[in-house]
Amino acid sequence: MSDPLISLILGFIIVSALMAFFFPDKGLLAIWRRSAKDSKKEALEDALKHVYDCEYNSLSCTIRSIAGHLHTNMDKAAEVSARLESMGLITSNNQKLYLTDEGRSYALRIIRVHRLWEHYLADHSSVKETEWHSEAEIVEHTMTIEEADSLAAKMGNPLIDPHGDPIPTAGLELPELGGVHLNELEKGDIGRIIHLEDEPQAVFSQLIAMGLHNGMQIHIIDKRTDRIIFEANGEENILAPTLAANITVKKIEDQSEILDDFTPLSSLQVGETGIVKGISRALRGQQRRRLMDLGVVPGSKITPELVSRAGNPVAYRIRGASVALRKQHSDLIFVEKGE
Amino acid sequence: MDKNNTDKTEKLLATAQNLRWQVGENFHESLMESIYSDAARIADRAVKVDDVKKKYDWDVKIDKLVTSRTFGFPLMFLLLAAVFWITVEGANVPSGLLASLLVDFLHPVLKDFMLSFSPEWVAGFLIDGAYLSMAWVIAVMLPPMAIFFPVFTLLEDFGYLPRVAFNMDNLFRRAGAHGKQALTMSMGFGCNAAGVVATRVIDSPRERLIAIITNNFSLCNGRWPTQILIASIFIGAALPAHIAGLVSAGAVVFIAVLGILLSLVVSYGLSKTILKGEASAFSLELPPYRPPKIWQTLYTSLIDRTIFVLWRAIVFAIPAGMAIWLSANVMIDGTSIAEHFISWSNPMGLLLGLNGVILLAYIIAIPANEIVIPTVLMLTVLTAGNPELGAGTGVMFELESQSAMAEIFRMGGWTALTGINLMLFSLLHNPCSTTIYTIYKETGSVKWSVIATVLPLIMGLVVCFFTAQLWMLFAN
Amino acid sequence: MNPSPENCANCPVHNMGNLKKLGVDMSDYDYVIALAGNPNTGKSTVFNNLTGLRQHTGNWPGKTVTRAEGGFIYSDKKFKIVDLPGTYSLLSTSTDEEVARDFILFGQPDVTVIVVDATRIERNLNLVLQVLEITDRAVLCVNLIDEARRHNIIVDIRTLGKDLGIPVVATAARQREGMDELLKSIEEVASGKYTCNPYRLSKVNPGIRKAVERIQNEIKEQFPDLPNPRWVAMRLLEGDQSIIDAIKSGELGDLKAEKQIHQPETIQN
Repeated sequence: MSDPLISLILGFIIVSALMAFFFPDKGLLAIWRRSAKDSKKEALEDALKHVYDCEYNSLSCTIRSIAGHLHTNMDKAAEVSARLESMGLITSNNQKLYLTDEGRSYALRIIRVHRLWEHYLADHSSVKETEWHSEAEIVEHTMTIEEADSLAAKMGNPLIDPHGDPIPTAGLELPELGGVHLNELEKGDIGRIIHLEDEPQAVFSQLIAMGLHNGMQIHIIDKRTDRIIFEANGEENILAPTLAANITVKKIEDQSEILDDFTPLSSLQVGETGIVKGISRALRGQQRRRLMDLGVVPGSKITPELVSRAGNPVAYRIRGASVALRKQHSDLIFVEKGE
Repeated sequence: MDKNNTDKTEKLLATAQNLRWQVGENFHESLMESIYSDAARIADRAVKVDDVKKKYDWDVKIDKLVTSRTFGFPLMFLLLAAVFWITVEGANVPSGLLASLLVDFLHPVLKDFMLSFSPEWVAGFLIDGAYLSMAWVIAVMLPPMAIFFPVFTLLEDFGYLPRVAFNMDNLFRRAGAHGKQALTMSMGFGCNAAGVVATRVIDSPRERLIAIITNNFSLCNGRWPTQILIASIFIGAALPAHIAGLVSAGAVVFIAVLGILLSLVVSYGLSKTILKGEASAFSLELPPYRPPKIWQTLYTSLIDRTIFVLWRAIVFAIPAGMAIWLSANVMIDGTSIAEHFISWSNPMGLLLGLNGVILLAYIIAIPANEIVIPTVLMLTVLTAGNPELGAGTGVMFELESQSAMAEIFRMGGWTALTGINLMLFSLLHNPCSTTIYTIYKETGSVKWSVIATVLPLIMGLVVCFFTAQLWMLFAN
Repeated sequence: MNPSPENCANCPVHNMGNLKKLGVDMSDYDYVIALAGNPNTGKSTVFNNLTGLRQHTGNWPGKTVTRAEGGFIYSDKKFKIVDLPGTYSLLSTSTDEEVARDFILFGQPDVTVIVVDATRIERNLNLVLQVLEITDRAVLCVNLIDEARRHNIIVDIRTLGKDLGIPVVATAARQREGMDELLKSIEEVASGKYTCNPYRLSKVNPGIRKAVERIQNEIKEQFPDLPNPRWVAMRLLEGDQSIIDAIKSGELGDLKAEKQIHQPETIQN
């Protein structure tokens, strides 16, 4: 029989080594599989996407900007752009790079896959919203357009991605988004968020941390040169104008559309009655539909009926039935307090 | 379809696509709102509540009680404990009767009958192997399940179980799971295969998978007897008589509670790692209480759950019985396959604080945990070279007296560590093949079936290894 | 099945081809009945009562996962009954709802029996109104009427029937109460003795009504015999791929085929 101490140490080492290798997402195997991708193809596609972004934002692209975008040196960037040009995807003129028609549709295909995948993650998985973009950055290079099309069909051909960007159609058309940046609104304006820019990641995470999401109504309280103060969901938020430019809003002119004075369902006490005004856009996918199927739609009367032993969940009487909701969801359902 | 028509369809689809951009994402919402406002109007005209005050009087009272701060949890534990008590107490006598009928009486009769016209190996293979394992599974499994499932189903039909899920949801939510998992877990204490089937009530894909994969951590009906036997032989016996019973019962409860804790921990881990790609949607409707239809419930739960699960278990037990018999009777170089395997795997078994016999028993008795102990006993007397202590080569058996069984275990070189690790391993190993098959049927996925099978096995091997080595380190 | 055009008041309307595709074998049966309803409304008990099968039914949402089938004979006709998964709605992307939705739309069952919980009618009407958008051959089974009585809830069956335009039967399936009447109503609708005039959504939200109407009109133009153009229009606006595929393949046009028989104008052809 071997010495137990040595066995213990050996066992410990083996278990840790196996864990380090096989651990989901963070293990060496997962990292290796993620890195075993076609880095050449990826660089080409990323560069192409960059040229497309330039065109979309009416900027001009150069080899230098590609180098910056790909975090690489000028030589590599020149190589990439030469390859793209030889593939007939871009043309250059006077140091500036332009998309060919073929290049544009190639780029739109990548964008379609990317945004569909983000939609998939948001509505059909439990992946956190801060990870949607980075996951889609990987999938966009590996998923074929046919796979993406059948995924879209399964999801009911969604129109916009969770950040509010339109998803290019199967025919590779990209509809206009519209709206203005948050820093273009004036004091007293009311608008609805229609898009949150997901790059750079740090800024996006900050916006998410503030509880902002698409469909949310915001009200500009004060606007100065160095900061914008606005109210969203009953909370006051302060943003620097440069960060505010990452938020696109649609100004609400029609007074009837303005939701005022709503309270989250979770704040109702047993015996109080509320009328459902809306469900926050942060509740997505199956969960949102399930709530609506159960009768949580605007106009429904809703009454907390029974509190569970631990205080969460709470059962509500909705449309004649008793349905238990968790606080994380009832926080995102807005009601108007009744009598 | 002619060209003209194709153009028209294309145009129709294009119109639809354009209009979708105009109505935007709110279409579904607006539609649901319209439907519900019509529904409210129709319901208003057709449904009258006679006396508002009396409406849910009785229901409200029960609801207040079951969710009360003081009585909620005690009531729940009391009811569950009562269900288990009824099961254990009620199953004892019929189990004994079935065993004496099928094993003690019918087995020799059938064997003699077979021997009268067929060679010994045929009789051994069919009767000692196939028949005996089937008889064993029926005797041990049928009575408790025939009691547990109907009683559980009565609570379910009454509408109490959704309230348990409601009360327990807070705990399970923290583990990334659904409150209804409390019920599929409880069902797993009866039978894991039935627990896996019961996860159908969880309508959120991610939480359902979590409940399926972790159901095996509920100590099932087939494992309780193993736990009780080993605890009283190896833990109880080492203590003075007046506390022995209490401590060994405590050890069994400890294992069961450990299983519950591990299922919560594993649920948490799964929800954060491999299952985060699955969609999740929580909803829990609390149906009105309904007086259960007792006879109907008894009938359907017997047919639906008990017979269903028992049938699957029998189908798997018969070939296993054959394999067990063959392993002990087919000789290579004068020794049986079983002995070859045992002597080969013994060092690894000892490293895990178990032994080769236990490892082999868990491999060939995979169809049902019920036959693990009989197989272990049979293999132990076989390897110790005293088959006359048992019922014959390759014939599973159990003994009336606990001390006689303890004697056999000691003869096989078992120590207290072997006992403790067997208890741990009985909790933490792959689900029985009936359950694995059920998991495959329910998920339709090889991937999840493999994960549900391998995950607890790896955990068991790791836990046993470290327990054994630590034990040896401190015992020396 | 080849019904003669002049005798069509009582010939079946189900879509043979599609039923076969959906995995329903109709040889030896005259009519096919679909059983729809919210989870936990006693749908399976109704199914068991009609067919004599014993499927476990619990006080739980979501028991029937796989589709169950059975059969029964009533007034010399053989009925095949298909128990659809219990769903709260037919509008979502979940598999259960897809199964139920496609069966009612493409299978064109001769009768769709919708089982509702008498104590929770308002919530259940959501599904009823959706089913009535798809098919005009339905029977409403207001089950658990005994429970409603116990809770002093009075369901005015006649008003409900008048408002919905379909036969409404109060049942307590666990006590076998009202089952005969349910069978009779099923037979009457299946054989065409009773003509339903189902309720259709009255006030679609102004925001979406225009869009629905525009597509509806285009669909009517292309598929003049389609019994449910508004439903198809609404599904198109939800981006439902099975509808898009059915339009592309022309399958949607087939849905009129048997239905046509009931339209006087086709007899004139």
